[in-house]
Amino acid sequence: MVKTEQPTAERDRARANREPPQPGTAIPPIQPVLRSLNPDAAPGRNGQNAVHLPTATPTEQSPQGPAIHAELAAEQHVLSTEDFKLHYGKHRALHGITMQIPAGKVTALIGPSGCGKSTLLRSFNRLNDLIENVRVDGRIRFQGQDIHDRKVDVIRLRKKMGMVFQKSNPFPMSIFENVVYALRIGGERRRRVLDEVCEKSLRSAALWDEVKDRLHTSALGMSGGQQQRLCIARAIAAEPEVLLMDEPCSALDPIATGKVEELMYALRGRYTVVIVTHNMQQAARVSDYTAFMYMGRLVEYGPTNAIFVNPHLKETESYVTGRFG
Amino acid sequence: MQIASAYIRGKSHLMFGLCILFTAVILAVLGMVSGYLISLGYKSVDFALFTQLPVPAGALGFPGGLQNGIVGSIIMIALASLIGIPIGMLTGIYLAEYSSRAWLAGPVRFIADVLTGVPSIVVGILGYELLVVPLGTYNGWAGAAALAFIMIPLVARTTEEMLLLVPRGYREASVALGATKARTILRVVVPAAFGSVITGIMLAIARVAGETAPLLFTALGSRFLESNPSRPFPSLTVQIYHAAMEPYKEENRKAWAGILVLLALIFVLNVTVRLTMRASGYGARAAR
Repeated sequence: MVKTEQPTAERDRARANREPPQPGTAIPPIQPVLRSLNPDAAPGRNGQNAVHLPTATPTEQSPQGPAIHAELAAEQHVLSTEDFKLHYGKHRALHGITMQIPAGKVTALIGPSGCGKSTLLRSFNRLNDLIENVRVDGRIRFQGQDIHDRKVDVIRLRKKMGMVFQKSNPFPMSIFENVVYALRIGGERRRRVLDEVCEKSLRSAALWDEVKDRLHTSALGMSGGQQQRLCIARAIAAEPEVLLMDEPCSALDPIATGKVEELMYALRGRYTVVIVTHNMQQAARVSDYTAFMYMGRLVEYGPTNAIFVNPHLKETESYVTGRFG
Repeated sequence: MQIASAYIRGKSHLMFGLCILFTAVILAVLGMVSGYLISLGYKSVDFALFTQLPVPAGALGFPGGLQNGIVGSIIMIALASLIGIPIGMLTGIYLAEYSSRAWLAGPVRFIADVLTGVPSIVVGILGYELLVVPLGTYNGWAGAAALAFIMIPLVARTTEEMLLLVPRGYREASVALGATKARTILRVVVPAAFGSVITGIMLAIARVAGETAPLLFTALGSRFLESNPSRPFPSLTVQIYHAAMEPYKEENRKAWAGILVLLALIFVLNVTVRLTMRASGYGARAAR
């Protein structure tokens, strides 16, 4: 019994040492992130040399509304939400999210567990329709069209949005059949087309060289990292316009994570990518824009650089520096 | 500390020992039953059993074989499977995939559970009332329908349970790729559960293969090799039943041989289906 107390005391002391510095002083953990983000920018204190100064960008900074950085206004938007609310039964998971997803960019959704990031992501392709007792309110527009409109064909909507899940979920079929699944359900039968798409998608997912000799063996025999890249290949085989990724690396080892991140980096420009992640370094590495969510609300949304180096809000700063969440 | 851990270890060993003991008891019972059957039946299993029709006592060639019963059972079980498996599987798919918001699901599930426990003789009387009386004669269709009626709830409930075990991620991935619900079910969910669904179907077939009571009122049985299910139809189980009731030793021995043949048929069917599944790649899925 005595022995177990000691580590607790040590931990308390360690925690005390990590107490946040006085407001106004720089927070040490930012530095490595900053360097990895923007090698050109000198790691100045308080962001003196950083690109985005808090005072330079006017925002709707208020306790009620989210802080949306001005840079977003300059982007072309492919997806947007307007006061989007979502309820699971009586529990409200999203409290009126208004945000715009820039086209051709990687947008990361960060925030502590249960803050509604995944729920929001799954709202974009209406995957929450599968869950009972989900009620939505407000609008989501994809290419200007309200996705909850009666006239919208949800099947076509989902074909335009590839999705990669937290847990890799290749179907219990061959690798080949997994990749061409979207084409098969679209009625494509020409062998040549299927072969071409399979190779192209697997190459895009940086998986071709590893699996080209065993395309017709079960996908379940692959390693975890390979399975997740297969799921990405399967998603991009359908040639979607948006790629939704729900913590795609949370079950992967660092090497597989690195490969998937490289892949995301390579996909930018061609696809609009929205990625939910718990890993803030990952958000900093792969995304152009970052949205910080908390308790079902959008807190701050802006260029990744700014969010990690010079967030407008204290809450965001505390989260990205690891002091809460 | 030492005492407590020895006590806990002792309990763990005890638990393990009990599991081993009762497994051994079950295996022993199984071994006794099959050993008894084989020791009594093997002497009477000969070529004639499969090639000759039964011969009545006193006639030349008595007691004859069980050819008509073996063939009749195979035909009738095949017919029952053709009727029962699709209906059962579709019901199971409905229960697992479509019924979450439907008021019908609860009653269907409850009725299926009740039907699983209905004595088979009741099913036989039902078949008699519905298919024998209106058609004016005992017939093979009525027998097959009665067997199918026993299979449907078994197949439906196992299918439902196995489909519910398929990870939700498969369904979500398929739907997110733009598949309709029907395609998701047919192309992903059912194939993923196929191995275990087949196991359930095999159990249902084995169950009805041993049924006698529902056939007494429906197919009745026949002394001839019959291929027309509209007439009274022979089956192995009914023949075993009659042979066992006869006062002649030869007939009784034929009954033992018949039981052995029945067991062997179910065994062969099971092994064949499993090997076929493994060859077609489903075995790996089932084993996962």
